Amino acid sequence: MLIQLLNGVVYGGLLYLLSVGLVLIFGLRQVVNFAHGALFMIGAYIGYSVAAAGSWWGGLVVAVVAMAIAGCVLDATLFRALRKQDHIVTVLVTFGLLLILETLVTVIWGKAYLRYPMPDLLSGTVDIAGSPFPVYRLFVIVVSIVVALSLASWLRFTRIGLYVRAASTDARVTSIQGINVDRLSLIVVGLGTALAGLSGVVAGPLLSLSPTMGNYILIDSFIVVVIGGMGSFGGAFVAALLIGQIHNFGAIYLPWAGTMLPLLLMVGVLIWRPTGLSGART
Amino acid sequence: MTLAIQGIGLTRRFGGFTALDNVDIAIRQGEIRGLIGPNGAGKSTLIDVLSGRARNPGGQVLLNGVDVSRLTPQQRRKRGMARSFQRTNIFPELSVEQQLRIASWAVEDADTDEVMDELDLRALADRPAAEISYGDQRRLDLALALVGRPRVLLLDEPAAGLTMEESLDLARILRDLANRWGVTVLLVEHDMQVVFSICDQITVLHLGRSLSEGSCAEVRANPTVIAAYLGTEA
Amino acid sequence: MTVAAGDVAPRVKTRRGTPLLLVLGVAALVAGFTLPWIAPSKVAMSLMAQSLFDALLATSVGFLVRQNGRVSFGQAAFFGLGGYVFAILVARSLVTPEVALVLALAVPTLVAFLFGLVVARVTGVAHAMLTLAIGQALYEIAFRWRELAKGDDGMSFDLPARLFGLPTRGLQDPAVMVVLAWSILVVALLGLKLFSQSRTGQIAAAIRDNEERARFIGFSTTLPRALVYAIAALIAAIAGTLQATYNGYIAPQMFHWSLSGAALVMAIVGGAKFIVGPAIGAIVLFYIKDLAGQFAEYWPAIVGTVLVVVTLVMPEGIVGLIKRIGGLGQRR
Repeated sequence: MLIQLLNGVVYGGLLYLLSVGLVLIFGLRQVVNFAHGALFMIGAYIGYSVAAAGSWWGGLVVAVVAMAIAGCVLDATLFRALRKQDHIVTVLVTFGLLLILETLVTVIWGKAYLRYPMPDLLSGTVDIAGSPFPVYRLFVIVVSIVVALSLASWLRFTRIGLYVRAASTDARVTSIQGINVDRLSLIVVGLGTALAGLSGVVAGPLLSLSPTMGNYILIDSFIVVVIGGMGSFGGAFVAALLIGQIHNFGAIYLPWAGTMLPLLLMVGVLIWRPTGLSGART
Repeated sequence: MTLAIQGIGLTRRFGGFTALDNVDIAIRQGEIRGLIGPNGAGKSTLIDVLSGRARNPGGQVLLNGVDVSRLTPQQRRKRGMARSFQRTNIFPELSVEQQLRIASWAVEDADTDEVMDELDLRALADRPAAEISYGDQRRLDLALALVGRPRVLLLDEPAAGLTMEESLDLARILRDLANRWGVTVLLVEHDMQVVFSICDQITVLHLGRSLSEGSCAEVRANPTVIAAYLGTEA
Repeated sequence: MTVAAGDVAPRVKTRRGTPLLLVLGVAALVAGFTLPWIAPSKVAMSLMAQSLFDALLATSVGFLVRQNGRVSFGQAAFFGLGGYVFAILVARSLVTPEVALVLALAVPTLVAFLFGLVVARVTGVAHAMLTLAIGQALYEIAFRWRELAKGDDGMSFDLPARLFGLPTRGLQDPAVMVVLAWSILVVALLGLKLFSQSRTGQIAAAIRDNEERARFIGFSTTLPRALVYAIAALIAAIAGTLQATYNGYIAPQMFHWSLSGAALVMAIVGGAKFIVGPAIGAIVLFYIKDLAGQFAEYWPAIVGTVLVVVTLVMPEGIVGLIKRIGGLGQRR
């Protein structure tokens, strides 16, 4: 039982890493980033290639840095142009981007499923309440907790963080004295995509790599963002853990319901509270 | 004289903040009532409560003596209560004529020509509302509320952003229509010149409560009103 | 009641528009009978039929964008539902073929209406996710419930010999199907045009434009929106039933979100602001894809690029572009 709970936390943690990036990008740029799952996937593939060349940890670093750069480029080009547009437009454009990136991956790495190795340091298991539990999964949990804590303190205790929080809960906040929105958004979007890359690498050894690996987890991340209330960091955290558990226990006890459970939960939450758990704007 | 619209014990809370605190208001048929008060006094909130925009407010709203508190905005509109908005609230992609025509369908296919003529929109009939000037948009906003000659009209700063000349023009049209069509008007307005020139009675709101009520002269002379509000402008 | 002649002109124009529309429609229907002769081969005819199914599905999702201002990533739900209801009822002989056909159209329409009542108020990403949810939910059911229709493998079925007294053999002949699908598309487009000119259609447009104000001028906003969902679903269901009939085969992919996404792209590329836009977008993209056969591997990237460019540079799509060029010509 405890093991199952922990497995749910592992998936919840991955979802958190992805959805918090969505919240950051939506908060600063009002862009609903459908390409986020593709960035997650590309992060995983880059990490895989570097790991195959010899260094797992190098792969982690390279993937995160590469995705951060990709995010900055996206922000400076596409997202800046989209900032004043309707949400529908941002959805369509990033959906187009998703199609392009998926094809790119197919061309470079092929369609076949690839097995992402685990670092030697983290292979093996530990005993938790009498059952073996893979060290690697503990590592995933630790990574997400560390990210969650650092992000929370960054948002709470720095001036930039304060601004990001304000911008995320109220679209009308457009400027605070002494803050250059374009430069800030470069940092924030870059951070969001870097987290997608991190999440991709960390998830790599748990899932197998394929050009569509980003799709299901992207849908689940959007569900997290919607349930948590668009633009809410706390809401995303709670919703990610919730979906993580539901995903995991659903797979064990209600296998026939499969991937439908998170969707059903979202439908329920939206009927109950149309703006999500945190009640932030839609 | 019969009361066209009456609010009893109207209350509206947002979390711990009370925007409207047990306000009573009663407006006679054909009267133009001014609603004034400093920012945050609860003027827009009062209009929202009367028109049904505010969800689950406290108190009762009577329209011609009938309790409409539980009716939706669309039901209230069909019974003769219309409103305009502080921020221009029109249909940007529809033409002026088309949106007025659509508005008329909700009120038994009322005549739209008369409002177009009264508010001088005829020349703009085929233009999409997004393309006409701000002053024209404000008049269109008012026209949408006036289709079908509503019995009660709630206006939330209809002259906001207009020039002095345009505001006085609008005031004149309002006074004229209220007389001829027998419309009862509740008018929120910051411009005292407009308020004093057309209102029969004035209600002063302050911090969500009704501070004073009376004729223009009475309100102007009331020391509490001067202290709370007018004093700063006079 | 004395009004200057210039003032009534726009109203007269819309009244005169309807007969003109009917003439155009009849002409288009007649033209449809030439399609089998235009196509150089059976294969080409078959492709043509497939492009028309796409055109109907794109019209369906485009209508939702146009009338409700909402994007859907789940319109394939109603496409698949139409096909599945028809195929399953026919294959198991549960009801007469006629009743099966009626149910294949009525069930998705009703489901969409109820869905519309619930989600009418939901906007933005949440709306996109909800539409995705309904499509994926049905996909999962079709995929996993093997007893229903052989799950992942899909299910072949035999058409009933007769439908409404007519022999059904022709329904799997591309020459017949092309004419039938074309005629249905023409009638559907006409119907949508008439709907958008009707009172309900105009009220729905007003609600899309400004929902709050629509309520304050006296309209309930949920019902017209739900009606638009229902009409859009009916068209998707027709497309799904046609495709199932033509192929004699159904598979869970009919529900998949990639199909919904593709239909949405077709609609946007063609120009969702116009009723004919999505159908034109579907047919254009279908044939570009066919021509790009050797680059099939890169097809999603091509579509993605087209989508990005169209959305940013020509938001009114192909039809908007044609109209703009035409407009320039007239002014000169």
